Amino acid sequence: MRETIAELLEIDVASVRGEQLLREDLGMDSLTSLELLSTLSREMKVDLEMEDAMEIVTVDDTVRFVERHLAC
Amino acid sequence: MKRALVIGATGFLGLNVVDALQARGVAVRATWRKKSITVFAQKRRPEWRLAELDDLAAMEDAMRGCDVVFFAAGHYPRYSLDARAAIERGRADVRSVCTAAMRAEVPRVVYTSSIGTLDGSVEGPVNEDDRTPEPPVQSVYRATKWAMEEEVDVALARGLDVVTILPGACLGPWDVRLGTTGVLVALLNHALPWWVDGVVNVADVRDVANAHVAAAEMAPRGARYCFGGHATTMRTLFEELCARWALPFPAEELDVRSARERADAEEREAAPRRGRVPMPRELVDLVTWGRRVDSSRAALELGVVARDHGTTLEDAQRWLERMGHVPKTLPNTMPTTVPETMRASRAEGASDEVDERGRSSATRARDDRGAVGDRRRVGAG
Repeated sequence: MRETIAELLEIDVASVRGEQLLREDLGMDSLTSLELLSTLSREMKVDLEMEDAMEIVTVDDTVRFVERHLAC
Repeated sequence: MKRALVIGATGFLGLNVVDALQARGVAVRATWRKKSITVFAQKRRPEWRLAELDDLAAMEDAMRGCDVVFFAAGHYPRYSLDARAAIERGRADVRSVCTAAMRAEVPRVVYTSSIGTLDGSVEGPVNEDDRTPEPPVQSVYRATKWAMEEEVDVALARGLDVVTILPGACLGPWDVRLGTTGVLVALLNHALPWWVDGVVNVADVRDVANAHVAAAEMAPRGARYCFGGHATTMRTLFEELCARWALPFPAEELDVRSARERADAEEREAAPRRGRVPMPRELVDLVTWGRRVDSSRAALELGVVARDHGTTLEDAQRWLERMGHVPKTLPNTMPTTVPETMRASRAEGASDEVDERGRSSATRARDDRGAVGDRRRVGAG
């Protein structure tokens, strides 16, 4: 997941840490959030709503979000 | 038409083209790129193909078996800072897609161009026949779109069946990356720092999508169709929007030269961080190009007419609310008259009619006073 986020933001994967805030710490904007949601949707093969992005605030949230959907 | 490929299906127009096709029972194949926002298109269940525009083999493979290819992903320069690069990229995109279409023996390509390729020097409203013979100067956007049409002409000469749609400034649902709608967002958030007057042709993106599908089915080879939608002036549009949503009128109106300079400066500042500006240079260029567009050929031959302008604005607002770009508490008063505060901002009580250069009455009055280079405040806020 850190690799996915780093690739989307075009930053070094080593600089992506679990507790970081996607928006404030990593500079993710609304478009990049949608790109991340799209990537997750494709990789998990599930439909996601735009509102799902609201609950993803940190890198760790992203991991938990994926784990929860994969467990369904 | 049984199966169609939509290039650009994850974008604003493309999503609406997919909807228009599926409403007619057409099976949709869609290309995507690694950074595409696919989350909206995914719900439409297209047959996905990963293909970059410059990947000829992947494009050709995606096109095989399709009756029509909708090319709604031509280069749209985000910034008007590097004309040469934008034109080269635009030409390369069109060449690549047209070459792949010929190799895949696609029966028809529907290409999305822009009214910005039309000639601004002719008298009266412009239509499809008013192509500017020389590349437009002073506008990266218009020059890029003009060059891309030239590449379409080359493909036509080589035997490809292409029809071209020239839309105005599109508004409506599914504007994911905020094109023209960005100025609406800025206005609704009281964050439009300045503006410039001129003619704006506001098209509902769903009508434009319907025109694409109708052109695929009915247009003769090589045909071109303008779809300008609702022609108005920027001033009148802002008055309407401010009245509808009880907004303050944007204060600072610039003349053409100042608007170009300001847009260029703001884009230079925004580009390194990939930011968007409220009034991008291409919008300044389109507005100050300022021609009313005659869309009667699309109405007569394709049967597509512009829907009610108010519906377009309301649906655009709903989309922006859903995306969180504007507050959900906007009043929708829909008054039938312009409030006094805004009316007072007009020059000499003149009408909304535009002249042969596309200038509204207030802009004419200012230009006639020789105010080029002058910034002034209008409106009461």
